[in-house]
Amino acid sequence: MAKLYRSREGEATAVDTKSQLTTLGSEAAPGPLLVPTGVTKLTGIIIASIQNMAAATGFSSLVRLEGPGLPGGPEVFAAAAGGNAVATGGNGSMKAQFIDVDIDVTSANEILIFGEMCGTDVGQVSFGVTLIFE
Amino acid sequence: MSKTLTVEGDLATVDARANITTQGSVTAPSLIVPSGVTKIDKIICSASAEGLADGSAVFFIRIGGSAVKRGEQNIVISAAARIAVQAGSDAAPQMCGLVVIENADIEVNSSDSLSIAAEMAGNDLGTGHIVVTLMFA
Repeated sequence: MAKLYRSREGEATAVDTKSQLTTLGSEAAPGPLLVPTGVTKLTGIIIASIQNMAAATGFSSLVRLEGPGLPGGPEVFAAAAGGNAVATGGNGSMKAQFIDVDIDVTSANEILIFGEMCGTDVGQVSFGVTLIFE
Repeated sequence: MSKTLTVEGDLATVDARANITTQGSVTAPSLIVPSGVTKIDKIICSASAEGLADGSAVFFIRIGGSAVKRGEQNIVISAAARIAVQAGSDAAPQMCGLVVIENADIEVNSSDSLSIAAEMAGNDLGTGHIVVTLMFA
Protein backbone atom coordinates (compact mmCIF):
# COMPACT_ATOMS: atom_id res chain seq x y z
CA MET A 1 0.00 0.00 0.00
CA ALA A 2 1.20 3.49 -0.80
CA LYS A 3 2.38 5.76 2.00
CA LEU A 4 0.54 8.77 3.39
CA TYR A 5 2.33 11.73 4.95
CA ARG A 6 0.79 13.93 7.65
CA SER A 7 2.68 16.77 9.37
CA ARG A 8 2.41 19.27 12.18
CA GLU A 9 4.82 21.91 13.50
CA GLY A 10 5.11 24.29 16.43
CA GLU A 11 7.27 25.58 19.25
CA ALA A 12 8.08 24.74 22.85
CA THR A 13 8.78 27.87 24.85
CA ALA A 14 8.87 26.44 28.38
CA VAL A 15 11.27 23.80 29.65
CA ASP A 16 10.03 20.35 30.66
CA THR A 17 6.54 21.16 29.44
CA LYS A 18 4.41 19.37 26.84
CA SER A 19 3.60 21.66 23.91
CA GLN A 20 1.15 20.28 21.39
CA LEU A 21 2.10 20.79 17.77
CA THR A 22 -1.17 21.87 16.17
CA THR A 23 -0.30 24.07 13.19
CA LEU A 24 1.03 23.53 9.69
CA GLY A 25 2.53 26.79 8.52
CA SER A 26 -0.19 28.74 6.73
CA GLU A 27 -2.82 26.43 8.22
CA ALA A 28 -3.31 27.82 11.71
CA ALA A 29 -5.97 25.24 12.56
CA PRO A 30 -5.61 22.15 10.36
CA GLY A 31 -7.67 20.18 12.87
CA PRO A 32 -6.90 16.88 14.55
CA LEU A 33 -4.30 14.67 12.95
CA LEU A 34 -6.40 11.60 12.22
CA VAL A 35 -5.00 8.24 11.23
CA PRO A 36 -6.06 7.91 7.57
CA THR A 37 -8.72 5.40 6.67
CA GLY A 38 -7.43 2.01 5.62
CA VAL A 39 -3.97 2.16 7.20
CA THR A 40 -2.81 -0.04 10.06
CA LYS A 41 0.75 1.04 10.74
CA LEU A 42 2.87 4.05 11.45
CA THR A 43 5.96 3.04 9.48
CA GLY A 44 8.07 6.17 9.69
CA ILE A 45 8.50 9.47 11.46
CA ILE A 46 10.43 12.48 10.20
CA ILE A 47 11.61 15.00 12.79
CA ALA A 48 13.34 18.38 12.46
CA SER A 49 14.08 20.34 15.64
CA ILE A 50 16.22 23.35 16.50
CA GLN A 51 16.70 25.90 19.29
CA ASN A 52 16.51 29.68 18.84
CA MET A 53 19.82 30.18 20.71
CA ALA A 54 18.35 32.88 22.98
CA ALA A 55 19.99 31.75 26.24
CA ALA A 56 23.49 30.58 27.14
CA THR A 57 22.75 27.05 28.21
CA GLY A 58 22.27 23.52 26.93
CA PHE A 59 19.15 21.59 26.08
CA SER A 60 17.73 18.50 24.46
CA SER A 61 14.37 17.98 22.83
CA LEU A 62 11.97 15.14 22.27
CA VAL A 63 8.75 14.37 20.42
CA ARG A 64 5.89 12.64 22.18
CA LEU A 65 3.04 10.85 20.36
CA GLU A 66 -0.19 10.18 22.25
CA GLY A 67 -3.88 9.66 21.64
CA PRO A 68 -6.50 7.07 20.72
CA GLY A 69 -4.87 6.47 17.35
CA LEU A 70 -2.09 4.61 19.15
CA PRO A 71 -3.58 1.43 20.68
CA GLY A 72 -0.23 0.49 22.21
CA GLY A 73 0.02 3.75 24.13
CA PRO A 74 2.36 6.74 23.87
CA GLU A 75 5.71 6.71 22.09
CA VAL A 76 8.55 9.17 22.63
CA PHE A 77 11.43 9.99 20.26
CA ALA A 78 14.67 11.89 20.79
CA ALA A 79 14.69 14.96 18.54
CA ALA A 80 17.78 17.15 19.08
CA ALA A 81 20.33 18.46 21.58
CA GLY A 82 22.62 21.46 21.68
CA GLY A 83 23.78 24.50 23.58
CA ASN A 84 25.12 28.02 23.38
CA ALA A 85 28.23 29.43 25.03
CA VAL A 86 26.81 32.91 24.63
CA ALA A 87 23.40 34.22 23.62
CA THR A 88 24.85 36.70 21.15
CA GLY A 89 25.55 35.17 17.81
CA GLY A 90 24.37 31.95 16.30
CA ASN A 91 23.15 30.60 13.00
CA GLY A 92 22.19 27.02 12.37
CA SER A 93 20.31 24.64 10.13
CA MET A 94 19.34 21.08 10.94
CA LYS A 95 18.15 18.66 8.30
CA ALA A 96 15.25 16.42 9.19
CA GLN A 97 15.90 12.85 10.27
CA PHE A 98 13.89 9.87 9.08
CA ILE A 99 13.20 7.14 11.64
CA ASP A 100 11.92 3.75 10.50
CA VAL A 101 9.25 2.48 12.93
CA ASP A 102 6.60 -0.23 13.18
CA ILE A 103 3.78 1.05 15.38
CA ASP A 104 0.17 -0.12 15.25
CA VAL A 105 -2.41 2.60 14.68
CA THR A 106 -6.21 2.76 14.72
CA SER A 107 -7.63 4.39 11.62
CA ALA A 108 -9.95 7.38 11.97
CA ASN A 109 -8.60 8.08 15.45
CA GLU A 110 -6.47 11.01 16.51
CA ILE A 111 -2.74 11.11 17.19
CA LEU A 112 -1.58 14.06 19.29
CA ILE A 113 1.97 15.27 18.67
CA PHE A 114 3.87 17.11 21.39
CA GLY A 115 7.32 18.70 21.43
CA GLU A 116 9.31 19.23 24.60
CA MET A 117 12.39 21.24 25.47
CA CYS A 118 14.39 19.41 28.17
CA GLY A 119 17.25 20.32 30.48
CA THR A 120 17.44 24.08 30.91
CA ASP A 121 15.46 26.79 29.17
CA VAL A 122 17.25 27.75 25.97
CA GLY A 123 14.51 30.13 24.90
CA GLN A 124 12.50 28.32 22.25
CA VAL A 125 12.69 25.03 20.38
CA SER A 126 10.93 24.55 17.05
CA PHE A 127 9.64 21.20 15.90
CA GLY A 128 8.43 19.81 12.61
CA VAL A 129 7.08 16.25 12.63
CA THR A 130 5.83 14.10 9.76
CA LEU A 131 4.03 10.81 10.41
CA ILE A 132 4.15 8.22 7.62
CA PHE A 133 1.26 5.76 7.48
CA GLU A 134 0.82 2.57 5.47
CA MET B 1 13.81 3.68 -15.08
CA SER B 2 14.01 6.76 -12.91
CA LYS B 3 12.76 10.17 -14.00
CA THR B 4 13.43 13.37 -12.09
CA LEU B 5 11.54 16.60 -11.58
CA THR B 6 13.40 19.39 -9.77
CA VAL B 7 12.10 22.77 -8.70
CA GLU B 8 13.40 25.51 -6.43
CA GLY B 9 12.20 28.81 -5.08
CA ASP B 10 12.12 31.45 -2.37
CA LEU B 11 10.08 31.39 0.81
CA ALA B 12 9.71 35.11 1.38
CA THR B 13 7.01 35.10 4.05
CA VAL B 14 6.66 33.00 7.17
CA ASP B 15 3.60 30.76 7.53
CA ALA B 16 2.64 31.31 3.90
CA ARG B 17 2.26 28.73 1.17
CA ALA B 18 4.71 29.36 -1.69
CA ASN B 19 4.38 27.48 -4.94
CA ILE B 20 7.79 26.22 -6.03
CA THR B 21 7.79 26.45 -9.79
CA THR B 22 11.20 27.44 -11.14
CA GLN B 23 14.36 25.49 -11.92
CA GLY B 24 17.22 27.96 -12.04
CA SER B 25 17.70 28.87 -15.69
CA VAL B 26 14.40 27.20 -16.57
CA THR B 27 11.69 29.53 -15.35
CA ALA B 28 8.72 27.28 -16.02
CA PRO B 29 9.64 23.59 -15.98
CA SER B 30 6.90 21.09 -16.66
CA LEU B 31 5.10 19.85 -13.55
CA ILE B 32 3.50 16.97 -15.43
CA VAL B 33 4.18 13.47 -14.09
CA PRO B 34 6.10 11.56 -16.78
CA SER B 35 4.13 8.95 -18.66
CA GLY B 36 4.55 5.34 -17.59
CA VAL B 37 5.35 5.96 -13.92
CA THR B 38 3.09 5.17 -10.97
CA LYS B 39 4.71 6.70 -7.90
CA ILE B 40 7.12 9.20 -6.42
CA ASP B 41 9.84 6.83 -5.31
CA LYS B 42 12.35 9.23 -3.80
CA ILE B 43 12.41 12.82 -2.53
CA ILE B 44 15.64 14.81 -2.35
CA CYS B 45 15.37 18.19 -0.69
CA SER B 46 17.19 20.97 1.15
CA ALA B 47 15.78 24.12 2.74
CA SER B 48 17.15 26.91 4.88
CA ALA B 49 16.96 30.67 5.35
CA GLU B 50 19.33 33.60 4.97
CA GLY B 51 19.29 34.16 8.73
CA LEU B 52 18.65 37.89 8.75
CA ALA B 53 16.18 37.82 11.63
CA ASP B 54 16.12 36.17 15.06
CA GLY B 55 14.05 33.11 15.81
CA SER B 56 13.55 29.48 14.89
CA ALA B 57 11.50 27.87 12.15
CA VAL B 58 10.90 24.62 10.34
CA PHE B 59 10.54 24.01 6.62
CA PHE B 60 8.16 21.58 4.94
CA ILE B 61 6.90 20.74 1.49
CA ARG B 62 3.42 20.10 0.16
CA ILE B 63 3.13 17.68 -2.75
CA GLY B 64 -0.30 17.86 -4.29
CA GLY B 65 -2.19 18.55 -7.46
CA SER B 66 -4.47 16.35 -9.49
CA ALA B 67 -1.67 13.82 -10.06
CA VAL B 68 -1.46 12.78 -6.40
CA LYS B 69 -3.96 9.97 -5.97
CA ARG B 70 -4.64 10.28 -2.25
CA GLY B 71 -4.42 14.03 -1.89
CA GLU B 72 -1.76 16.43 -0.73
CA GLN B 73 1.12 14.96 1.24
CA ASN B 74 3.10 17.26 3.56
CA ILE B 75 6.63 16.41 4.63
CA VAL B 76 9.00 18.13 7.07
CA ILE B 77 12.42 18.87 5.57
CA SER B 78 14.55 20.90 7.98
CA ALA B 79 14.76 23.47 10.76
CA ALA B 80 16.82 26.64 11.12
CA ALA B 81 17.48 29.33 13.71
CA ARG B 82 19.39 32.54 14.30
CA ILE B 83 20.30 34.87 17.16
CA ALA B 84 21.88 38.26 16.47
CA VAL B 85 25.64 38.57 16.79
CA GLN B 86 27.32 41.31 18.82
CA ALA B 87 27.75 44.60 17.03
CA GLY B 88 30.72 44.48 14.70
CA SER B 89 30.78 40.69 14.42
CA ASP B 90 29.97 38.54 11.42
CA ALA B 91 27.40 35.77 11.50
CA ALA B 92 28.06 32.25 10.32
CA PRO B 93 26.26 31.09 7.18
CA GLN B 94 23.18 28.90 7.17
CA MET B 95 23.93 25.51 5.59
CA CYS B 96 21.50 22.62 5.35
CA GLY B 97 22.46 19.17 4.15
CA LEU B 98 20.37 17.22 1.66
CA VAL B 99 17.46 15.23 3.00
CA VAL B 100 16.87 12.05 1.01
CA ILE B 101 13.67 10.09 1.57
CA GLU B 102 14.06 6.66 0.02
CA ASN B 103 11.02 4.58 -0.95
CA ALA B 104 8.69 7.56 -0.53
CA ASP B 105 5.98 5.54 -2.28
CA ILE B 106 3.48 8.29 -3.07
CA GLU B 107 0.98 7.14 -5.70
CA VAL B 108 0.58 9.42 -8.72
CA ASN B 109 -1.29 9.45 -12.01
CA SER B 110 1.06 9.67 -14.96
CA SER B 111 0.59 12.53 -17.42
CA ASP B 112 -1.28 14.57 -14.80
CA SER B 113 -0.14 17.76 -13.07
CA LEU B 114 1.64 18.19 -9.77
CA SER B 115 1.63 21.13 -7.39
CA ILE B 116 4.77 21.52 -5.30
CA ALA B 117 4.67 24.10 -2.53
CA ALA B 118 6.75 24.82 0.55
CA GLU B 119 6.58 26.86 3.71
CA MET B 120 8.79 28.34 6.42
CA ALA B 121 6.81 27.92 9.65
CA GLY B 122 7.41 29.51 13.04
CA ASN B 123 9.48 32.69 13.12
CA ASP B 124 10.50 34.72 10.10
CA LEU B 125 14.26 34.17 9.63
CA GLY B 126 14.49 36.30 6.51
CA THR B 127 13.95 34.82 3.07
CA GLY B 128 14.14 31.06 2.93
CA HIS B 129 15.04 29.00 -0.10
CA ILE B 130 14.23 25.43 -1.01
CA VAL B 131 15.15 22.93 -3.69
CA VAL B 132 13.18 19.73 -4.25
CA THR B 133 13.78 16.76 -6.53
CA LEU B 134 11.09 14.16 -7.02
CA MET B 135 12.19 10.86 -8.53
CA PHE B 136 9.46 8.85 -10.21
CA ALA B 137 9.32 5.12 -10.77
